[in-house]
Amino acid sequence: MAVQNAVCAADRKIVLVGNPNVGKSVLFNALTGAYTVVSNYPGTSVEVSRGNCQIDGVSYEVLDTPGMYSLLPITEEERVAREILLKEKAHTVIHVIDARNLERMLPMTLQLVEAGLPVILLINILDEAERRGMYVDIPLLQEKLGIPVIGGAMARKRGLAELRQAIASYDSKVKAVFGYSRDLEKDIAKISEHLTGDYTLVPRSIALLLLQKDEDVWGLIRDAEKGSLEAIEKAVNDTVYERRMDLNLRISLERKRICRAILEEVVHQQADRKPTFFERLAGWTINPWTGFPLLLLVLYFGVYVFVGKFGAGVLVDLLEGGLFENYLNPWVVGLVHKLTSWYWLRELLVGEYGVFTLGVRYAVALVLPIVGTFFLAFSLMEDVGYFPRLAMLVDRVFKKIGLNGRAVIPMVLGFGCDTMATMVTRTLETVRERVIVTLLLALAVPCSAQLGVIMGLLSEVPGALPVWVACVMLVFLAVGLLSARLLPGERPMFYMELPPMRLPQARNVLIKTVSRMQWYFLEIFPLFIFASILLWAGKMTGALNGLVRIMSPAISALGLPSETTAAFIFGFFRRDFGAAGLYDMHSQGLLSPRQLTVAAVTMTLFVPCIAQFLMMKKERGWKVSLGIFLLVTLLAFAVGWSLNVVLGFTGWLA
Amino acid sequence: MKCGFCGRDLPPPDKVRQKPCGACLGGCRKIHCPWCGYENPIVPNYLRRWKNKDESKEND
Repeated sequence: MAVQNAVCAADRKIVLVGNPNVGKSVLFNALTGAYTVVSNYPGTSVEVSRGNCQIDGVSYEVLDTPGMYSLLPITEEERVAREILLKEKAHTVIHVIDARNLERMLPMTLQLVEAGLPVILLINILDEAERRGMYVDIPLLQEKLGIPVIGGAMARKRGLAELRQAIASYDSKVKAVFGYSRDLEKDIAKISEHLTGDYTLVPRSIALLLLQKDEDVWGLIRDAEKGSLEAIEKAVNDTVYERRMDLNLRISLERKRICRAILEEVVHQQADRKPTFFERLAGWTINPWTGFPLLLLVLYFGVYVFVGKFGAGVLVDLLEGGLFENYLNPWVVGLVHKLTSWYWLRELLVGEYGVFTLGVRYAVALVLPIVGTFFLAFSLMEDVGYFPRLAMLVDRVFKKIGLNGRAVIPMVLGFGCDTMATMVTRTLETVRERVIVTLLLALAVPCSAQLGVIMGLLSEVPGALPVWVACVMLVFLAVGLLSARLLPGERPMFYMELPPMRLPQARNVLIKTVSRMQWYFLEIFPLFIFASILLWAGKMTGALNGLVRIMSPAISALGLPSETTAAFIFGFFRRDFGAAGLYDMHSQGLLSPRQLTVAAVTMTLFVPCIAQFLMMKKERGWKVSLGIFLLVTLLAFAVGWSLNVVLGFTGWLA
Repeated sequence: MKCGFCGRDLPPPDKVRQKPCGACLGGCRKIHCPWCGYENPIVPNYLRRWKNKDESKEND
């Protein structure tokens, strides 16, 4: 696309900004032609394209910035894009947005306009929107926004002449202003009255960024406002204290409200156009009346049938029962016995806890097929765009039971990996939220690997899975509700943009599944080997028997055979390793359906794996993490014991 | 590559500046979305060419 060539800097600059994939580069090429320079922005590894164009005999330098979602930067690319806006003193800033996603992208236009930048709005990909029966009233939008608005399709150069005309005749004296709610306007005024420095952005925009804790802008203020810095800090801190809510969220919601009001009369859908299947499905997934039955369907077909019956049934039988039991195990055991007569070495390699007979077999024949099918179902749901909707659906329930809606993100992440989800809890606003979510993650949110193995394991026993789901849900809701009542604090709102739902792409799903299986296997395989060596050492030294003896009263109180202790010890290393231990015992006929259900419930609620415990300690400190550890252990065994009593009394799963 | 949760474009793996939790042996094989925190798998090199071919069809 770009040719390295000298591009003379012109006096006037046109800066192209917008989300990724909205057609900025297409517009850049249409404006500048072939002669462009692509170079890293000074001090960064972010590439910025520069080129020249002539409009009505005037020369302009055109800058194509990296994609950005907001004026408040999060990534390096966004930081560079904003720095260009702040430093390059643009003649015009062309905000390129996708006509199909106006509501999602217009809030950034508002940010650019309120920053006092000379904005021209280009509504691109209009042809595609029209094909979908959408009509955008461009003159009305221009009137409402108070800036030039051009509709077009840059890939076909539609609207390019109008855009060039708008650039040439741009009147920088005309400034549009949007009003927020009275409270927010008061807060903005309280801060901006102290701003006396010379900035590219107007004081109103600076005040909003200060309220949103923008570190770069705070740095700018510290340099420029020597005299009034204290007053500014006081005004911001007073506002944050007074409002006691996430100001970032509040400002985003205000902008969203303004955009909705603007677009209400601007965007029209063809009356005879019927919503597509995915548009209707997207609505069903977040409506509680249809969302929960849909969730049950997804769990039934995606997890119970596909993972449980196919992954844990057909594939495991093929690998474990067929390949390992009939061919690999006898061959490797025979080979080891032929090569060495040392008992300890035989035990280490092919014994009860042998590296091959336990570590390799568990990883390859038991866990991998189950987790592989689980990842396939997971990637499919992810590619369709189901997860953010699931978060919205669950969020509504969370709010009803008094839990914090924002906790949804780490909770959903917990189904991927609880260790990482524990780390993500640091993004929550208050200590109260972080402690509640950390506790719930440790207690009742099984990671994907454990979930896959347990679902696979229990789906073979009729009635066991509903009992497991009911127990875990009950504990989750009870502990969540109780801790939300006991720990005082505010309940911030949950807000997220929903990306559109779409037909899954086979290539995407396959790539994500294979990538996940690869990192999972690389992660678990050494750990499984390490755990089997440790267990072997425990067996050889007698330490394992000692541990089994210590734990046996608790295990027998649950009505479980003493061999289950080993599976619980496996669970310390990794949750899925423990679940695989149960699977192995069940396939050997050592566990009755009742014992299997009790063991699965207890293990799910039982202490997190080593990695998660270490992360809890790192994030919450020794006191809180040990408290959670003790509480979770006690609760797990108490629930397991109660379940065993209830099942024994009622005769279910006998 | 788009985030599997919020749908925003993820930065390329070589440009991601994230502090891994250190729980995984051999380093982190996930990209955490800078906007929502969701963990997306890093596509291995042997699959990347296939993926890039698909993404080049998208407009920009």
